[in-house]
Amino acid sequence: MTDTILLYVDPGSGSYLIQVIIAAIVGALFYFKNAWLRVKAFFWRPKKEDANENDNVNG
Amino acid sequence: MVNYTRHPASFKDPAGFVFEADGKFYRQVNQYYAIQYRQLMDSGLYAQLVKNGWLVSHEEINENLTQDPSWYTTILPEPVNYISYPYEWCFAQLKDAALLTLKILRQSLEYGMILKDATPFNIQFHKGRPIFIDTLSFDIYNPQQPWIAYRQFCQCFLFPLYLEHYLKSDIPKILAAYINGIPNDIIAKLLPLKSRLNLGVWLHVYLQNTTMISDKGNKAAAKFSKKKLIDLVSHLENIIRNFPADKSYKTTWSNYYDDTILSRQYVEEKEKIVLEMCGKTGAGSVLDLGANTGHFSKKLAAQGMSVVATDTDSRCINKLYLDTTKNNSLNILPLVVDVANPSPAIGFNNTERAAFHDRIQTELVMALALIHHLVIGRNIPISALAGYFRRIAPQLIIEFVPKQDEKVKQMLSTRPDVFADYDQDHFENAFSAYFTIVDQVKIPGTERILYRMIRK
Repeated sequence: MTDTILLYVDPGSGSYLIQVIIAAIVGALFYFKNAWLRVKAFFWRPKKEDANENDNVNG
Repeated sequence: MVNYTRHPASFKDPAGFVFEADGKFYRQVNQYYAIQYRQLMDSGLYAQLVKNGWLVSHEEINENLTQDPSWYTTILPEPVNYISYPYEWCFAQLKDAALLTLKILRQSLEYGMILKDATPFNIQFHKGRPIFIDTLSFDIYNPQQPWIAYRQFCQCFLFPLYLEHYLKSDIPKILAAYINGIPNDIIAKLLPLKSRLNLGVWLHVYLQNTTMISDKGNKAAAKFSKKKLIDLVSHLENIIRNFPADKSYKTTWSNYYDDTILSRQYVEEKEKIVLEMCGKTGAGSVLDLGANTGHFSKKLAAQGMSVVATDTDSRCINKLYLDTTKNNSLNILPLVVDVANPSPAIGFNNTERAAFHDRIQTELVMALALIHHLVIGRNIPISALAGYFRRIAPQLIIEFVPKQDEKVKQMLSTRPDVFADYDQDHFENAFSAYFTIVDQVKIPGTERILYRMIRK
């Protein structure tokens, strides 16, 4: 049974690959989100200069 | 060398260990961890974390108290009043502990360090706030490596939060069974189908579960960067921050407490008596058993007492916790505890995590409107209860709710009355065996009696 074997895997070691995948997906999402926010800021609030500091935006 | 006892939970990490000597808890830092410890202290990370109130502060004792050859230095951390464990926390407490872990991780990266583990046992609730207590959890950061504690973080924090969020039931309790967090394959089977539509669940639960099965030690190919790690942390933070701590539960919890609230007059009268009795005890700390949403706990905390407020209903405790954080009530620790089944001693050798009453000791124990739930609701004989309170309570304030009371009548309407001994005389006799009854006041307008007792 694969399931029982998995319980003995060190909690850290198996999670490397998944982090690479998740970081890639999440990174792409944040990239598009920030791009969209910049576009939005350009059209709706052109005077706001700190729009590109939105690394921590919710979402 | 001083006489010392190594803490039974402190055996996993070769970086050091916690020991008790002369009633104080010290942490020895071993040579093995010297470089990391210096970086923590010299980079300014320690000072920054302490300044933020995120990490417990410590005093460095430059003396090898244990005479251990692997000694590098010894630290004396600021003491934490009460030790509590994640299976006694409510949803909002686990959520705050998770966010604190991520905030500390993010801050560490700025100082060239990273958290090498992510377990809720590294966090305690101190002065109303979660605080990180494991000073030796910091490691030197290598940007090419992903976060070693990612899976642990998921299993210990993210998965239980997801489960409670989707199942809307009291989940942290099951962390007592899964002391290292809920395994990935189990949560993948427990979460409802609709959760798969959520990107976070899909990535961290299902995708992780799939890659675990197909991942054959393929970590060499994995290249990472600081930006990627920060993206991952931001994503986790967003997921956890967006869990409603209270809002979505209102529908399921609705009107739950309105039923239990008796007349305003009763509460006011009872409040007066309880506060007066409490004043007479001269106690500085109190364990409020069956605190509900903490009406009386809050009153006692306002008098300057240090209060541990427990209830078996996690919804009550969640409400109280949110209330204490909102109002900055720093001396209330709300915990989910069932009086008829308090957390046992668990973990390695059954000593790693102590039993609830071995950890939480107070000068006064208060049990208001509780005894009928234990005797009639849980079939615990009065004499057994008296013995229990004798073990935990140097002083006791307890309310007796007789059979004539509406609430007890309600309880008895659905079960046979096998409680022949449940009356005032038997109650007083049973408790007098272990306690001296120093005060007894009938609450006006009711049949209920409040007692103040001192252990013989």
